Amino acid sequence: MKGAEARDRASAVILAGGKSSRMGRPKALLPFDGEPLIRHLVRTLAPLFAEVVVVGGAGAEFVELMSLLRSLSSQPNELNEPNELNQPNKPYQPNQPNELNKPNELNQPNKPNLTLVRDEIAYQGPVGGIYYGLREAKGEFVFLTSCDAPFLNLALISHLISQISDYDVVVPYWQERFQPLHAVYRRSVAPLLGEQLERGELRPIFLYEKVRTRRVSEDEIRRFDPEGLSFLNMNTPEDYEAALKRWQRLAEEQRGRGGPHPSALAPMPPGGECTVELFSVARLLAKTSKIDLALPREATLADVLAALSDRLPVLVGPIIATDRKSLTSGNACNINGRTFVRDPKAPVQPGDSIFIISADAGG
Amino acid sequence: MHGFHGRLLTIDLSAETYEWRALEESRLRAFLGGIGLGTSLLYDFAPAGVEPFSPANPLILTSAPLVGTGLTTTAKYAVVTKSPLTGFIADSLSSSFFALELKRIGADAVVITGRSSHPTYLFIRDKQVEFRRADHLWGKSPKETESSLRSELGDTGVRVAAIGRAGENRVRFATISNEGRHAGRGGVGAVMGSKNLKAIAARGNAAATVADPQGVEAIAEAMRARSLGTMTAKYREIGTVANLAVFNRLGTLPTRNFQQSTFDDAEELTGESLVENNFSRRYGCASCTIRCEHLFKSLAGEEQRLEYETLFALGPLCGIQDSTTVLEAARLCDLYGLDTISTGGTIAWGMECAAKGLLPEASGIGLNFGNADAVMKIIPAIAQRSGLGELLAEGSKRAAARIGGETGDWAMHVKGLELPGYEPRSLKTMALGLAVSPRGACHNRSGAYEVDFSGEVDRLKTDGRRGMLVAASEDFSAVLDSLIVCKFLRKCFTDFYAEAGDLISKVTGWSYSADELKRAGERIHTLKKLFNVREGWKSNDDWLPPRLLKEALPTGVAEGVGLSESELREMLQSYYRARGWDESGYVPKAKLSELGISM
Repeated sequence: MKGAEARDRASAVILAGGKSSRMGRPKALLPFDGEPLIRHLVRTLAPLFAEVVVVGGAGAEFVELMSLLRSLSSQPNELNEPNELNQPNKPYQPNQPNELNKPNELNQPNKPNLTLVRDEIAYQGPVGGIYYGLREAKGEFVFLTSCDAPFLNLALISHLISQISDYDVVVPYWQERFQPLHAVYRRSVAPLLGEQLERGELRPIFLYEKVRTRRVSEDEIRRFDPEGLSFLNMNTPEDYEAALKRWQRLAEEQRGRGGPHPSALAPMPPGGECTVELFSVARLLAKTSKIDLALPREATLADVLAALSDRLPVLVGPIIATDRKSLTSGNACNINGRTFVRDPKAPVQPGDSIFIISADAGG
Repeated sequence: MHGFHGRLLTIDLSAETYEWRALEESRLRAFLGGIGLGTSLLYDFAPAGVEPFSPANPLILTSAPLVGTGLTTTAKYAVVTKSPLTGFIADSLSSSFFALELKRIGADAVVITGRSSHPTYLFIRDKQVEFRRADHLWGKSPKETESSLRSELGDTGVRVAAIGRAGENRVRFATISNEGRHAGRGGVGAVMGSKNLKAIAARGNAAATVADPQGVEAIAEAMRARSLGTMTAKYREIGTVANLAVFNRLGTLPTRNFQQSTFDDAEELTGESLVENNFSRRYGCASCTIRCEHLFKSLAGEEQRLEYETLFALGPLCGIQDSTTVLEAARLCDLYGLDTISTGGTIAWGMECAAKGLLPEASGIGLNFGNADAVMKIIPAIAQRSGLGELLAEGSKRAAARIGGETGDWAMHVKGLELPGYEPRSLKTMALGLAVSPRGACHNRSGAYEVDFSGEVDRLKTDGRRGMLVAASEDFSAVLDSLIVCKFLRKCFTDFYAEAGDLISKVTGWSYSADELKRAGERIHTLKKLFNVREGWKSNDDWLPPRLLKEALPTGVAEGVGLSESELREMLQSYYRARGWDESGYVPKAKLSELGISM
């Protein structure tokens, strides 16, 4: 799935309804990089998603959340009145899509449709949050995160989304734990979560056992996010301080390299993906002619082949060497129909089409 | 002598006589076998300026030192003559059991001259040659002829090479066929037909010895293993038809007579789709472990071998998009003994003429791009030289000359030989390779496309290195074609000249170095050129069809890419320099003595 297609079909859900008891104040409202954390997250996700759903708690901060998010909405002047939000679980929709404001219009790429929904039966653990988020999202599938994880990595998120085609859930497995609050869910699993809630099964793993779940390995994650910062969340004031310092350090490193501030880098533009077109034996083995892959930053052919190996393990051996970074001797690679490359270090740009072909053009 | 018999069989069809002669070891060492030996014999046996259909034009069949050694892919023979299509050298290869049997008759080459007064076939059994009447075979397909003769001669060990109706009727791009394989290009079947020679049946017991049987077997064993690796997977799993999809994507699939290099309706014709939807079985030549032949079934249920060149020429080149039509058209070409590339190329020329209103006869039968019915009608007409087929049987060059006007601009040939399925504008090294190839536009005598697909150069641009790269490719092909080793094995060598030199040393007992083998390649190629020069080659014969130099590609990833005359001229100069020839493309005397060629 390409970036534009994913943007149309995917929603993001941010769970902002936790108790924040150890933090001592609402995490969603913590200042981060000069703005409330929730705004930081929405802005970060905006390039990838046409719709962002924020699941807020039942507490007083809900109104404040709504006020904060108003300026990020694509149609801020059509906000509903707060008093319409008093019904439990009734979604608050700052705007409705219309012909002039299609989600994928490029004129406002960072202004998603924002939906704020109240998690009335709050604090039921992640399954409750996931359930409400999925129920209100309009996308066919949903990337779900929590509001206390500031280091979102769009390359990794794109990769997770690109995996959903044949699955119901795509969930990272980092340091021997599932990361259910940084995962992609097909919206159709919502009823199963509802049933889980009724039965009191509050662990997401019960869902994973029932549906087609793709576990994304640590090696696979490291290609996009070597330190796993995506899963770094803040539960205590100490965590928060450490995160702020880390953010500052990243910013300084970026400046040292002459690059932009990480707040500009984090929302890596959509299209951090390439398309691999398979020909000849590769096509027969894969039973497909085309596949989209998310790219890490400064991606190389080796990254593409590693991602391809994850998606199509059948190619490892006959087409991709067992190092998963290079092609076997009978195969070659061409980028965009222009350049033939064999060097695994050859750079690959977002939007590139990578052809995997036979090395022998004899006929 | 090892690896060779050291004997030549000459046959005079007019007098119905034959003679066994000694072949000098020096000639075999200098030219090896196959195309090299055939070229050497052609130079000596063809009278200068001989008409291709004259009885004096020799039809030469050669064997090679590796035939019968057990080395995979080497059951091959060559046919060399003066081409009725180009007026220059025609050197064509075929393979399988006939090649093995040809060597067992005890000759390294058979030179056939003269003309029978009636349809004849030759039965060469050991040292005897019988001239037999072939009236009952006339009109039969090569396949029917093979089976009739094996039955008639009461010996299933007999192997047969034959022509079909196209050869009988001197269609200038007729083939010689055996066991479903073809010496396809340049009209060697028409020369055979001009001699009233329907078939050659061979049966023998003379095995050539090898100097170091254990050493040869060790190499053969290693090559068998390598031949089953990833380098040949394409040929084993899909066959050459795998080229179509990727060539289309790369903007190098000639379409509608080279008006485009992409074909929108290609999906059904891709090798991948054919394997999924039409695959029947895989087959291989004798002594081959790769087994690249893929047989496909059409909707009609007929089983037909299909190669990329056939697929491109009878498919996209003619605007045909359905596999059933292409398979049936290929079956007809095999039935009549027609080179599928030249058949498709000439029909596509006719289609374009019809579209532009310049060939009323073509319009009359609806010979339009994409019209399957017209293709089905015109192929038999070409083979029988009936109606419009009489014109098209001459090939695109002569047909365009007859119709005149601008039709020559889209007669897509070099030296008279129709272009294969590699678009020159988006494969610039190949463009040069096609322009200079002695037998005309050919993808086998120069595999220059390899360079374009390697990433070593920018395939869409020209530069001064192409001459050297094309020359190296030609010499490499000349060696492969003379040993003879199938090109599909070529990438299984890690250091080709060293390994092949070692192999030829072990087969012949000569000490044959990598350098000597390289020089042999250059010598063989140079002698082809010398033959052409003797037969009237001029500088402007090394050129490409006007369309390629006037029109940029209109579609695909190579959209807007063209090839200018000055670019081609610069590449030609770089080629002549790399070859050590003069700037007009002639071979200086110093080069002859350097290569040990005496005229």
